[in-house]
Amino acid sequence: MRIFSTDHKVIGLQYALTSLAFLLLGFLMILMIRWHLAWPTQAMPLIGALLGESRTSGGVLLPEFYLQLGAMHGTIMVFLAVVPLAVGAFGNYLVPLMIGAPDMAFPRLNALSYWLYFVAGLVMLAGFFLPGGAAASGWTSYPPLAVIATMGQTAWLVGMFVLVLSSMLNSINMIVTILQLRAPGMTLMRMPFFIWAMLVTSFLLLLAFPPLQAAAVLQLMDRLAGTSFFMPSGLVVSGQIAKSTGGGSPILWQHLFWFLGHPEVYVLILPALGIVSEVIANITRKPIWGYRAMVGAALFMGSMSFLVWAHHMFLTGMGPTMSGFFQITTMIISIPSVIIVTALVLSLSGGSIRFTVPGLFALGFLPMFGLGGLTGLPLGLAATDIPLHDTYYVVGHFHYIVAPGTLFALFAGIYYWFPKVTGRKMHDLLGRLHFWGSLIGMNGIFLPMFIQAWAGMNRRLYDGGRTYEAFAGFDGSFRGQAWSAVFLGVVQLFFIVNLFWSLKRGARVGNNPWDATTLEWVATSPPPAHNFEGTPTVHRGPYDYSLPGAARDFTPQSER
Amino acid sequence: MIIPYTTDRRADTGVTNVTMGMWLFIASEVMLFGALFSAYALLSVSAIDWPSGRQFLSLPLGTVNTIVLIQVTAVAWRARQSSAIKARVLLMIGSVFALAFLGLKSLEYAHEFSAGLRPATNTFLAMYFTLTGLHALHVIAGIAANVWAIAGATRVGEAMMAGRTRALALYWVFVDIVWLIIFGLMYLL
Repeated sequence: MRIFSTDHKVIGLQYALTSLAFLLLGFLMILMIRWHLAWPTQAMPLIGALLGESRTSGGVLLPEFYLQLGAMHGTIMVFLAVVPLAVGAFGNYLVPLMIGAPDMAFPRLNALSYWLYFVAGLVMLAGFFLPGGAAASGWTSYPPLAVIATMGQTAWLVGMFVLVLSSMLNSINMIVTILQLRAPGMTLMRMPFFIWAMLVTSFLLLLAFPPLQAAAVLQLMDRLAGTSFFMPSGLVVSGQIAKSTGGGSPILWQHLFWFLGHPEVYVLILPALGIVSEVIANITRKPIWGYRAMVGAALFMGSMSFLVWAHHMFLTGMGPTMSGFFQITTMIISIPSVIIVTALVLSLSGGSIRFTVPGLFALGFLPMFGLGGLTGLPLGLAATDIPLHDTYYVVGHFHYIVAPGTLFALFAGIYYWFPKVTGRKMHDLLGRLHFWGSLIGMNGIFLPMFIQAWAGMNRRLYDGGRTYEAFAGFDGSFRGQAWSAVFLGVVQLFFIVNLFWSLKRGARVGNNPWDATTLEWVATSPPPAHNFEGTPTVHRGPYDYSLPGAARDFTPQSER
Repeated sequence: MIIPYTTDRRADTGVTNVTMGMWLFIASEVMLFGALFSAYALLSVSAIDWPSGRQFLSLPLGTVNTIVLIQVTAVAWRARQSSAIKARVLLMIGSVFALAFLGLKSLEYAHEFSAGLRPATNTFLAMYFTLTGLHALHVIAGIAANVWAIAGATRVGEAMMAGRTRALALYWVFVDIVWLIIFGLMYLL
């Protein structure tokens, strides 16, 4: 395997390995945070002494380093782990295979987008070794705090600029590939739902990311050229009035950031919904229920996601007309998510479900994603958002969406398509332990957050609110969360071991071990360069399972 | 390996991969500059005092530069219809015009710097330097793309070269439009 390959499968795997490494790194960072919150005055075992004087004092995390960990955990998980894994890895590897194409439309641009992502990640991480450490102003980098922050913030902004370039190239490639390179007979309404999800996701990446790039340029100017785009007049920093040329607006950053930030949420969940749909159709042995409604819902969700961003900003003092508008659009956008999840749940009814490992993760996804989605509704209404804002409720809500939600779907995808990539199956028992352990561990971390939030526990308190009387009595729940996080980490070892063990020792399987219908299973495992021998022709829809009168309970798309 | 529809149009979409890719790229760029122009609008309407660009910027230099930049597009637009050999010459001429634009722009910056005008002087100038700087980066990228197309002109064949020149022409039109908005907003208003 060449390192600088233009083969979409190699690039997909490069994305997968890099983003999984970032996922582990982001998890280790939060493990330190959870440990610190449980025992804020005790030296951290093992690694406390290794972090150095600038980051710890007597083995206890310093506040500055705690904030760096928080900001970088969010940045890494969202921008460098989950999106590249969902779009870069699954998208690049599977899209050409599932639509019957020899490669992506622009193979060299594809390689370029991977390497830009790689460089962007390194630049952001390099912040940890700059004086003052990495970016520490939250993953949202709100000014004026971010403008007066140490050099790590500059690394964050430069990395973000490069990352947006990478995702732009990747999304252009994805859209052109899906629209132009479909095999004969693969009409739009015969595309697997995963492909629709990738198409909508790519449009969101293409159109929503550039405003963040613009915002990053403006913040860089503020930091390096002394401009005041985001710096208000008369701001007092450390007892002195900060330099400002007048007329800057910190709220402008929030608008630009959340104009990306909300579509980004759908970038995180649409690929997950796509993967879960493929797996659910496969384990229930019947067509997914309401395919057309799901496609319509995905398209509607994608376009609507550009009109909801200010529901992250109810506390900025916007007028009732503005907040009314964004509350209404926010309530409307919950409808397509409900349509898709309902369709997936209805797909289960009457199916003879095969409880495979990918099936378990897909089934686990549904209630966890549901919990995350329903807890989001009170955050979309200003009246309830105002007290809940900046508490652990928000953290619990979006982690239910992304961790036992999107990550479960991505794990389902890894177990499901591993045989296609390697020709071997992953170990079943290790996979089951991984699933049940992750389910328990994640709920152990995130469920208490909703309860802590009722006491008003703020999400960014360095000592977990120990100095406030109102937050007394939460030691137990913090420690429960810390042990859950450790448990979750241990359980991930099953996955890591499984991944490498199965590469060499997994049971060899044929080209179509799950008896699936979509086009990627027609290719050999692993697929050769250019994927198919000759161009496949598509004769039917994506989910022809259990057709009446058919010899088997699945009929591949390429069969007449 | 042959990727389908690199040079010939796909029947149901009516375009080649390259053309569709360029349109999507432009859509993304519209969002980038759209965000910056929105920021400009928001900052200027909420400012107590927003200066007119005529106080600081040289209208004659800006006008000449506008005309120079339009030549780049005019030439690239003609290259769409030409043979690879002729397109190569036209793109070279276009690149020279684009370099002239950058030269004049540098001259303007030099004038402004010597008059003590900096991005940190006021928010109008901050926006001016950011927008024109980012636009100049697009001109530089365009020259690089021109050179890349010129270098491959005879190697890649007529059809491929025609696709590249069509995409380049689209790109230069976009760079022009961005400039015209900057010119209208900052030099004229």
